Amino acid sequence: MTGGAVKISSSTGATGAIRAGATGLIFVAPALVLYAAFVLWPLASSVYYSMTDWDGISQARWIGFANFERAFADKIHLASYLHVTLYILGTLVFEVSFGLFMAVLLNSDRPGFALLRALFFSPVVLSMSAAGVLWTFVFDYRTGIINASLKAIGLTDWAQPWLSQPTTALLCVMLVSGWKFAGLYMILFFAALRRIPRHLYEAARLEGAGPVWSFCNITLPLLKQNILVAVLLAVTGGFAGFDLFFTMTNGQPYNSTEVPATWIMKQAFDNDQLGYGIALTVILTGVVCLISLIYLRYAERSHVVEY
Amino acid sequence: MLPRTPALTRRAFSLLALGAAAWGSASLPALAAPAEVRITHSMTGGAQKEAFDAIVAAFEAAHPDIKIKQIVYDDDLYSDTGLITQLKSSSPPEIYFQWAGAPTQRDAREGFAMDLSEALGAEGWKDSFIAPAFSQQMGVLNDGKPYLVPITLDVTNVIWYNKQIFKEAGIAPPANWAELIDLTKKLAGKGETPFVIGNQELWPLGNWASHIASRVVPPADYEAAFRLEKPFNTPDFEKALNLVDEIRQAGGFNKDIAGLGADPAMSTFFQGAAAMHPIGSWLVSSATELAEKDFDYDEFNTPLIDPAHPLKDSVIGTLTGFAVSPKSQNPQQAITFLRFFTSPENQVKWAEAGSFSPVKGAMEKAKLDPKTKAMADLLNSAGSLVPPPDTTYPVEVAEAYYQAAAYVAGGEKSPKDALVWLDDRVKTMRK
Repeated sequence: MTGGAVKISSSTGATGAIRAGATGLIFVAPALVLYAAFVLWPLASSVYYSMTDWDGISQARWIGFANFERAFADKIHLASYLHVTLYILGTLVFEVSFGLFMAVLLNSDRPGFALLRALFFSPVVLSMSAAGVLWTFVFDYRTGIINASLKAIGLTDWAQPWLSQPTTALLCVMLVSGWKFAGLYMILFFAALRRIPRHLYEAARLEGAGPVWSFCNITLPLLKQNILVAVLLAVTGGFAGFDLFFTMTNGQPYNSTEVPATWIMKQAFDNDQLGYGIALTVILTGVVCLISLIYLRYAERSHVVEY
Repeated sequence: MLPRTPALTRRAFSLLALGAAAWGSASLPALAAPAEVRITHSMTGGAQKEAFDAIVAAFEAAHPDIKIKQIVYDDDLYSDTGLITQLKSSSPPEIYFQWAGAPTQRDAREGFAMDLSEALGAEGWKDSFIAPAFSQQMGVLNDGKPYLVPITLDVTNVIWYNKQIFKEAGIAPPANWAELIDLTKKLAGKGETPFVIGNQELWPLGNWASHIASRVVPPADYEAAFRLEKPFNTPDFEKALNLVDEIRQAGGFNKDIAGLGADPAMSTFFQGAAAMHPIGSWLVSSATELAEKDFDYDEFNTPLIDPAHPLKDSVIGTLTGFAVSPKSQNPQQAITFLRFFTSPENQVKWAEAGSFSPVKGAMEKAKLDPKTKAMADLLNSAGSLVPPPDTTYPVEVAEAYYQAAAYVAGGEKSPKDALVWLDDRVKTMRK
């Protein structure tokens, strides 16, 4: 009797759980369908086409891992990762660090500071392509304002073809990227700075601490989470970098500013090798995911702030 | 209250309505919508587009049963994604613009382009074109069958020069390579920039460098190297790149060659900031828009390099044309339009808009401006026509050769090292 009662009760519970599960499935089904259609299916088809010899027009031909073997033997492709790493390091300096510096500098309610912040932020609203074209004119060897200024002050020998030399082209792109995005990071850090209690600084000052000590021991630790987010944004954004490189240098001179995105575009569309281009994209996706996962794991571990 | 309609009147109305319907359906063919012929191309503006629009308007007036719809893309967008997307769609356009050579042959193999043997064979249509247009070398044929109606012959590289600068320097167009180097040295010595090239996209110098190579390397070896059947690192290819290096050593190239775009380089030439600018025949139409009215310029072909070479007096150029999609809705109407477009009278208009028509007699009858006439004469006097590698061979191989030439022109690598790099680069492309 007892056993039978338990059995009935257990059976009812299981049915209920199934019913509840089915109801839940119905509710999440639209989202699942959309996710499958717009994320999972394109992802799966990308992986498939990365293993084909395909120009986008002809019938795709299955070639297994040949595209990946080629990618790891393609020296320009491998060098593009070095270039993008240098670019990301540059963005950490010119965007994140400079943005933080400006946020600390302009963290004041004095008259005019709001205007300065707005001015510093203004390049962020420009499109990347427009910014790239604009700066190409600035760096132009013959008519650019930089060389014209150098010549005007008698430094004629300093005038250089900035975007045509491997030694300066990547640096120019980094500088423009910094000009474009430092304002964004400034605003992020500025908002975070406003949340730091003022009494911490006052207490430190009463103890005889200077501004540098306060910055290193109060500001930086309390901004740690924001800095981690900013660095993550800079790293992932750096890997996706395309517009500035495309408009300013198109990977030249001599492939010295070739980054994964520009190389993928050239292979897939200019050279009619869509299969190879997709394989390069799959590799790039894997690299970005891996770096993001490692970084997020590190960020999670270090979210406890001690001061 | 409205009076009720008598039954007889209602019947009469019904009969009238039926009669009207019957008359209407009988006259339907006369009122049917015209068949639509969609043409996709990359002529976004300028004299060519105006001439094309005028010919389309004349065709529609002469053929009220056919309506032409143009689908226009920017040049880069068209070749990168615009055309592919349309050809892969379930209803591709009837007519599409295409380059002769590898693209046309690929379209033929994949069934995107219609075999035009029958159409071109009818009523002497094919015979209305100059004979070389349908030679195997020009890339209009696949397995001996035509898949493209040629519309324009483009010279992809000649050397344009500023007549004023040449006059002031006391120099004339060179007759051979040694003279070219001499005048380059002379111009550089006077503080001029002898050549301005915007090589950011590699093809502007690459095209010229491949033309030079085609005049130095035996034709069979040249072909075999670009088809990856033989190495590039040979004494002949090295000799060809040495010629590029000679120009560099003579101070010939602009300092910003590697980072300058093709359009800014052309503007630099128009501003008189350089004596010479190697680029294609399209400079003529650009000069109309961008150069000052008193800007005086002319052109000369790459001068004689090796008198014993079979292609010693060649011109580098390519054919472009219209292909017909066999999967489109109205391919026969498309052929009707193409016959109309390539009729001698319309090709005269086409030529007067600055295009080099491959239709017999069109260039002779057209009232050409002196620059276009000079280009036509250059083509007529050429011993042969060499197609550019990027429309003839695998694009990635052509691009790699262009990059090797860029290394040499920039002084980044010696000709030998550039060829070693090139063979290493194309090695990864072999399957």
